[in-house]
Amino acid sequence: MIEARGVEKWYPNGFHALRGVDLSVEQGEVVVIMGPSGSGKSTFLRTFNALEDFQKGSITVDGITLSDDLRHIDAIRREVGMVFQQFNLFPHLTVLDNLTLAPVLVRKLAKAEVQRRALELLERVGIAEQAHKYPGQLSGGQQQRVAIARSLCMEPRIMLFDEPTSALDPEMVQEVLEVMQGLARDGMTMVVVTHEVRFARQVAHRVVLMDDGEVVEMAPPERFFSNPQHPRSRQFLSQIS
Amino acid sequence: MDAVPPLRLRPGAWQRLRRGLFASRVDGLISIVLIGFLLAAALGLAKWALFQAQWAVISANSTLFAVGRYPLEQQWRLWLLTTLLALATGLSWGLLRAFPRSGPPVTLWPRNDRWAVAILVVLAIWRPMALQLALPIQMRWWAITGLLLLARWAAGRWGQAIPQVSRRLVPLIWPLLYLVGMVLISGGLGLVQVAPSEWGGLLLTLLMSSFAILLCFPLGVLLALGRRSELPLLRWGSVLYIEFIRGAPLITLLFLGQNILGFLLPGGMAPDRVWRAAWVLTFFAAAYVAEAVRSGLSAVPAGQLEAARSLGLPLPLALIHVVLPQALRVALPATVGQFITLLQDTTLLSLIGLLDLLGTARTVMANPEFLGKNAEVYLVLAVLFWCCCAALGLGSRALEIRLNPQAQPSR
Ligand SMILES: Nc1ncnc2c1ncn2[C@@H]1O[C@H](COP(=O)(O)OP(=O)(O)OP(=O)(O)O)[C@@H](O)[C@H]1O
Ligand SMILES: [Mg+2]
Repeated sequence: MIEARGVEKWYPNGFHALRGVDLSVEQGEVVVIMGPSGSGKSTFLRTFNALEDFQKGSITVDGITLSDDLRHIDAIRREVGMVFQQFNLFPHLTVLDNLTLAPVLVRKLAKAEVQRRALELLERVGIAEQAHKYPGQLSGGQQQRVAIARSLCMEPRIMLFDEPTSALDPEMVQEVLEVMQGLARDGMTMVVVTHEVRFARQVAHRVVLMDDGEVVEMAPPERFFSNPQHPRSRQFLSQIS
Repeated sequence: MDAVPPLRLRPGAWQRLRRGLFASRVDGLISIVLIGFLLAAALGLAKWALFQAQWAVISANSTLFAVGRYPLEQQWRLWLLTTLLALATGLSWGLLRAFPRSGPPVTLWPRNDRWAVAILVVLAIWRPMALQLALPIQMRWWAITGLLLLARWAAGRWGQAIPQVSRRLVPLIWPLLYLVGMVLISGGLGLVQVAPSEWGGLLLTLLMSSFAILLCFPLGVLLALGRRSELPLLRWGSVLYIEFIRGAPLITLLFLGQNILGFLLPGGMAPDRVWRAAWVLTFFAAAYVAEAVRSGLSAVPAGQLEAARSLGLPLPLALIHVVLPQALRVALPATVGQFITLLQDTTLLSLIGLLDLLGTARTVMANPEFLGKNAEVYLVLAVLFWCCCAALGLGSRALEIRLNPQAQPSR
């Protein structure tokens, strides 16, 4: 589903954020990316749906090669959902309108049909009764679940998560992780940047450790957490546990 | 540990007044002195207005102040337009006030407008008699009162009778009404032509400012977006334009426009002095609106655009549906402030020889028959401008509350 080969990125200020990163993600696979702050996890994740550009290497998503061609970019973004640390819900729209906006405008589906699907999705993430509220009236955990439902409403084939639980109060982390776990069980292809070790252990097929813009180690979770090969992985794991 | 909050009774008006004005001895002293001053000033003004001022200068020239030299036998067109305007205003107001996006209806001023109506009716009956106005003027006064009542009726009735779907179309009334208004005012489509040089007074002032307001707003939004664009040409073009306009006094631009706009705009768009001035006002205000909108744009977190884009919305749709609604809400007060400034800036038109309200006033005061009546004329002018600006401000407040989803009417 995702093929990244030797991706290098420099920010406009000259900072070398990605130094030749390779990653391939199979259909239905859940990949967790970990790594210290500033290691380039977000940058890497955001190149998958062209929120960040890159200068060297190649990325193919769902058979479409990322290039400067705008039609490719819009096509990829339709197939790739993204969930942000800060939720980024649209505060001026109700929860329901947050979900239906893109499918109606981009996929040109009938509004009534989209609304039906949106309500189903809200049901699935457990907040159907909040459909007519505004995002500002919901708790952080509820907002993040709405954000997940909003992405799903576009019926993406891949979901990207950038630290989806880092901005949440501890008691709300679990409700969001459960929704993500359910998604994984249903066979969604997911790339998740997170520091939730328990989630990585239970859900991930592979864990990737990034440091300094490079992939340091890539392994199934059992091996990654119990027997890390690279000294930098060991150091990182000792810091977060 | 259970601190029960003390039972609070809603303080009566008198208590509130006392607490506000006479909280301490010094406060009380200041209050008394200020109230004294205010009373003296109000008394003086009332005495002057009722006994000394000679309002003949106004009543004799009221047509001139209202519409300039607009042909008498065509003025029914203006009355028709005013009636339509009253209906549209009432309708929009009713919708804004009675149908917030969510939650219970918000009450805005007038909280209880029965008093306003009563005062209007009393004024309509008593004032013309007390001032012994001529019958035509008296009739006009009644007509205006009638129109205000009509607007109020429309606000109350129509707002409820209109089905949800067509309510969204109500804002579209205004551009439409503008086109209808242009035809009614200038003629065409079977109506007798009335040249712009014959428009004047309040008519010209309102026409110029509404033209500029309607057009400078989209132009300003485009400029603000251009200023943040990633395309260097667009960005630098917008910056250059905005900074050039903001660096030049309006009056020089007005004079400049009279000389060069004929070449700049495609033929027929600025055929005469009036339209050239209108375009200059528009271009001038657009630069300031752009700055207001820009501040609104920078108040929208970058994550909003990213979220919209990552959902697959192309940039224009993301801007229209996600970024601009939030940005314009923030920019609204500053933008309306700009509109109000624009309205007041139309007085500069008198300096390039147009007979707007101020221009008309100056010709009237230059008439030997009405020499030395400046105070009366300027007072009426001030009141007229105040009314227009207050209406704009009121409308913007209503819109602000309407646009804010979790609206609490702020006071
Ligand atoms: N717009 C930018 N311009 C310049 N440098 C940037 C920019 N955005 C990020 N960086 C730098 O790129 C590096 C990688 O950033 P990135 O956000 O990908 O890190 P991260 O691994 O997601 O960290 P965190 O855990 O804090 O989210 C950081 O050192 C950061 O300072
Ligand atoms: Mg990050």
